[in-house]
Amino acid sequence: MLGACAPGQVDGQGSGASPSAVQSVDPAEFAGKTLNYVYFTDGPDAAATAQLISKFEEKYKVKVNLETLPYKDLVTSVQARLSGGNAPDVVRLTGLTDFRDDLLDLRGYLGEDYAKEFLPGPVVGATGKDGKMLAVPSDLTLNGPFVNVDMFKKAGVSLPDPEKPWTWEEMIDAATKVQKATGSQYAFAMDKSGHRLSTVLNQYGTALVANGKSTLDAEKAKKALKPLIDMMSDNRMPRDFWLGSGSRYSGANEIFLAQDAPVYLFGNWQVGQFAKNAKFEWAAAPNPCADNCGGFPGGKYMAALQQSKNPALAAEFIRFMNTMENQETFIKAGGFLPTRKDLAEKGVAYPDRQADMDVFLKDLARTPDLGYAANSDPAFTGSATELVNAVSDVVGGKKDLSTAVSDLQKKTQSLVEELH
Amino acid sequence: MAAIQATPRLRQRKAPLKMRLVPYLFLLPNMAIFGLFTVWPAINGFNISMYSSSNGRTFRWEGTGNYQRILTDEDFWGIVRNTVVYALAFVLLSVVLGVMLAVLVDQQRRGRTFFRSVFFIPVLISPVVAGLVWNWMLERQNGLINTFLGTLGIPEVPWLVDNTLAMVVVIGVGTWMQVGFYMLILLAGLQSIDPSVYEAAKIDGASRWQQFISLTFPLLQPSILVVVVLATIHGFQAFDFIYTLTGGGPVGATTLIVQYIYENGFVSPIRYGVATAGSVLLFCAIFALTIANWMIGRKREAA
Repeated sequence: MLGACAPGQVDGQGSGASPSAVQSVDPAEFAGKTLNYVYFTDGPDAAATAQLISKFEEKYKVKVNLETLPYKDLVTSVQARLSGGNAPDVVRLTGLTDFRDDLLDLRGYLGEDYAKEFLPGPVVGATGKDGKMLAVPSDLTLNGPFVNVDMFKKAGVSLPDPEKPWTWEEMIDAATKVQKATGSQYAFAMDKSGHRLSTVLNQYGTALVANGKSTLDAEKAKKALKPLIDMMSDNRMPRDFWLGSGSRYSGANEIFLAQDAPVYLFGNWQVGQFAKNAKFEWAAAPNPCADNCGGFPGGKYMAALQQSKNPALAAEFIRFMNTMENQETFIKAGGFLPTRKDLAEKGVAYPDRQADMDVFLKDLARTPDLGYAANSDPAFTGSATELVNAVSDVVGGKKDLSTAVSDLQKKTQSLVEELH
Repeated sequence: MAAIQATPRLRQRKAPLKMRLVPYLFLLPNMAIFGLFTVWPAINGFNISMYSSSNGRTFRWEGTGNYQRILTDEDFWGIVRNTVVYALAFVLLSVVLGVMLAVLVDQQRRGRTFFRSVFFIPVLISPVVAGLVWNWMLERQNGLINTFLGTLGIPEVPWLVDNTLAMVVVIGVGTWMQVGFYMLILLAGLQSIDPSVYEAAKIDGASRWQQFISLTFPLLQPSILVVVVLATIHGFQAFDFIYTLTGGGPVGATTLIVQYIYENGFVSPIRYGVATAGSVLLFCAIFALTIANWMIGRKREAA
């Protein structure tokens, strides 16, 4: 089943890449300096980051202050520090939208060709106007479903083949059969998140925004959202969960862990947590296909701020943390996917759950470029919030699907005009 | 007689400048802190409401653009309606329940301190925690309240996912959290009423209800006015416990104006100008209502 490529390898991406010529740096020139790195953690990556920082400190004879913030406070905290003239040197971000005007163009420090060391999809989100390299994509994530293998076995329903993904109809049909056979509360669970919903939009061949334009195709969006709304209307998907948290993000991982749903659409960064917490046999499944296959990408970036007192050191730190060897250490610990071409080509041997990570790597190769363009658009975050609101409006009976999608198109258009 | 004659001369004598400055010097630290952390940000907030900014460092002049944007936003008027419904119900319940609890506690010969503490405890609970705990208790499936109702044969109630019920819950929890505080204000008002007026009423044969309507209620009016003003302000500013209880849902049914301000100011895409313009509008509404309450109260007192 996994014979198409070696474990941890990405199909069809990143062939023939070699590190570009970069400016040579003498570690001695940074000796005695201090670097402030603002970080948030997904959990297992924290120890690997600390380990890599120790290596950097030892090699360059510098001090790195690692400041780990809760993710929800990251943007406001860094903005407050910028306003107060106390900018950190390097920051870990999920998107550049809130800081685009403050980020250092790394080309001057890392070389014009440095971006070519990375997969083209993730680089889209790190690139600013006029080709500026505003960040380095330090890890990649991909949304995708998990299945409760025990429940599938009990129901006698076969699991999908990673080489031949489900269609959406097949996945819903299988999930419903398992629900009926096992008596589970729900058939399908999904986070209340515009990012997760965008997975479905992409699979049906559309996106909220891309390349500075509102790109939502109303007919495709309706086709994509209807199965989810239908499932919430008969509670195959938890309706209360969707409506009960208002405008807040809400994760459905507890529903899956409690075995209340046999299929859960989430992402590869949950592999480590499930490996630790699930009391049943589970597996990653390939994303279902409609017009497109593959998932919806996410990931994190390392960026240096223009206000940094040591921009050369900040850029060097980013380069160090993203060498092939160091990125491999980091993504193996965190359960992330590689962003470097050479690492993707070589393959990553994860310490645990290799088969599940390989499912995501295969899906990565199937993921259309549209997803990268959508996720990196400055208007994406706001549009994703409006997408959640649109689905809530339909589920809550405030609007019909056509009106909600039509209103969503107007709102994404308005956000594009505001943010570009 | 000599003492009486001396009094006007004493009044006319001006205290030395140093002595006259003393009260102001005592006030100065408090006024400096108040000015720096309340008045100045408020004035600056009004200024920022005329600009657009996504980072608090670079600003673009908008004039009244942010106000126009808010006032022409359909969602905003739905939020205003929710806020008015919440504030009216909250003020009404706070006054009625506050008076009832104050009267009941005042009549207790034993355990008055105990009851006063019991009703005041919710005021001390963090609103965020209160919202989370009530959310847990009111969950449709496995929530404490529905589990209890289930033992009585009552089917599950969708407390947090039905628009009307969610608003009822939010009003109820908001009142539960604050009514102890208002009760204390009203209790102090009750205890300041001269007992001899009740004795006179009893001699005249007034029933308890007549005593309440003709004596207690009119004499309690200054305290009620204070409660109405404070409850109006609290009602319009409600946010924290609602955010953890319902998140403003379902479908925006419990989203109030402070959540609108918060989401513009702190949720991407950040719009500081719109958030501060919303704050200015909220300030104007609360200020106007407070003045109206105060004027109505003064008229009644004068009558």
